[in-house]
Amino acid sequence: MSEHEHETQHSTGGEPGAEAHGENGWLHVEKWEGVWIRVAVAMTVVFIAAITVAAMSFGITVPGATARINPMTLNDPDSPFATPGIRELAPGKYEVYMVAQTWSFLPDRIEVPVGSEVTFYLTARDVIHGIKIANTNVNMMALPGQVSVLRAKFDKPGVYNYICHEYCGYFANSPIGHHTMYGQLIVTAPDNATETVQVTQ
Amino acid sequence: MQKTLDSPNLKKPALLWGGLLAIPLLAVILFAVAQPIKVVPRIGLAPGFIFTDMYGRQLTNEDLRGQIVIYNFTTTSCEAPCIDTAPIMQALQEFVKQLDTGGIPVTLVTISLDPERDTPERLQAYARKLNADPARWHFVTGSPERLKQVVGGGFELYYTQDEHGVFYFAPMLAIVDGNGILRARYKRGLEDVAIAERDLMLILEEARNSSGAAGLVYEAAHLFLCYPTY
Ligand SMILES: [Cu+2]
Repeated sequence: MSEHEHETQHSTGGEPGAEAHGENGWLHVEKWEGVWIRVAVAMTVVFIAAITVAAMSFGITVPGATARINPMTLNDPDSPFATPGIRELAPGKYEVYMVAQTWSFLPDRIEVPVGSEVTFYLTARDVIHGIKIANTNVNMMALPGQVSVLRAKFDKPGVYNYICHEYCGYFANSPIGHHTMYGQLIVTAPDNATETVQVTQ
Repeated sequence: MQKTLDSPNLKKPALLWGGLLAIPLLAVILFAVAQPIKVVPRIGLAPGFIFTDMYGRQLTNEDLRGQIVIYNFTTTSCEAPCIDTAPIMQALQEFVKQLDTGGIPVTLVTISLDPERDTPERLQAYARKLNADPARWHFVTGSPERLKQVVGGGFELYYTQDEHGVFYFAPMLAIVDGNGILRARYKRGLEDVAIAERDLMLILEEARNSSGAAGLVYEAAHLFLCYPTY
């Protein structure tokens, strides 16, 4: 008992290393320190598990062979990226094939009726770009060699700008560059409501 | 009071706790990396439809419940530059004929986008030309509006028709499982029919084996499958 007290005093006395190992080769850890070490380890494990499960179960998509594309084939006649733009799959349902390149989006103007469901297929022709459609949750990377896919529904009429949010360079003293890479998504209201929307713009 | 980690009987709990935490983590990582069970993704619910087949009878998606269905979308007048998916369907028909599907029927459905020209008679002639077995290969079509809803909106194949009535579309095939869930969609056709055969085998295997507790393992495999869900 006295030996225990003796050792404990040493280890809590701020002299680690001097008597780091006890008779069993284990560290002397003060009671509450031990508790907090356990709590910290448990939290780390819980966080890793939470991230893993969340990433899997929410269907977070990662680059995969199924969504790869050779950037050299973007202009092939049978490639949907050869004619980038919006097209109507069925009433209220659209798909957009979009190419990001230095320093523009193709297309740089998209018009959809309000309430439409739009699937974006995005790839880059040259370097890494990105797209963020302001005030929506459309936010994607555009990587050369890969197709990023995202589905969105636009329920509020208005004009939404989209910008490249992945720095992609510029020419010195030139007016164009990453900062001028943008486009516009126009969500149109039904005919009778168009005027009121424009007033609020 | 200060009998903490230096007493020998506490060495075991530390190892025990470490092991208890490490084993599930390792198991999860191994399961995700090694993929002992391979599954084909669930893309989404396949569209419902009521179409007319080449004998003038109705065919609905509900009639095909419990069957694994391979779809292609075309017209009987698909000629170059239109890329015809019929040869792939023929190859799949031969593959399925030879296959022991374990009692799960595998059906082929060709949806014609051109109801105006593809009359039942023409579809019958087309089926004969393709050597289609009428018991397992249906040829259907419907009104243009309905086709647009099902093929365009549901299967997400974009197609147009020019002023001469010629259809333009990308070659596409799709596989729907017995629960009516879209499992595979080859949006730009198939270079190799083996890809569709592999996916078909995996879907069949899952349908056969995923009853009871094994179903949970299959669910886990779906959970850890990283794939684009579109
Ligand atoms: Cu950019």
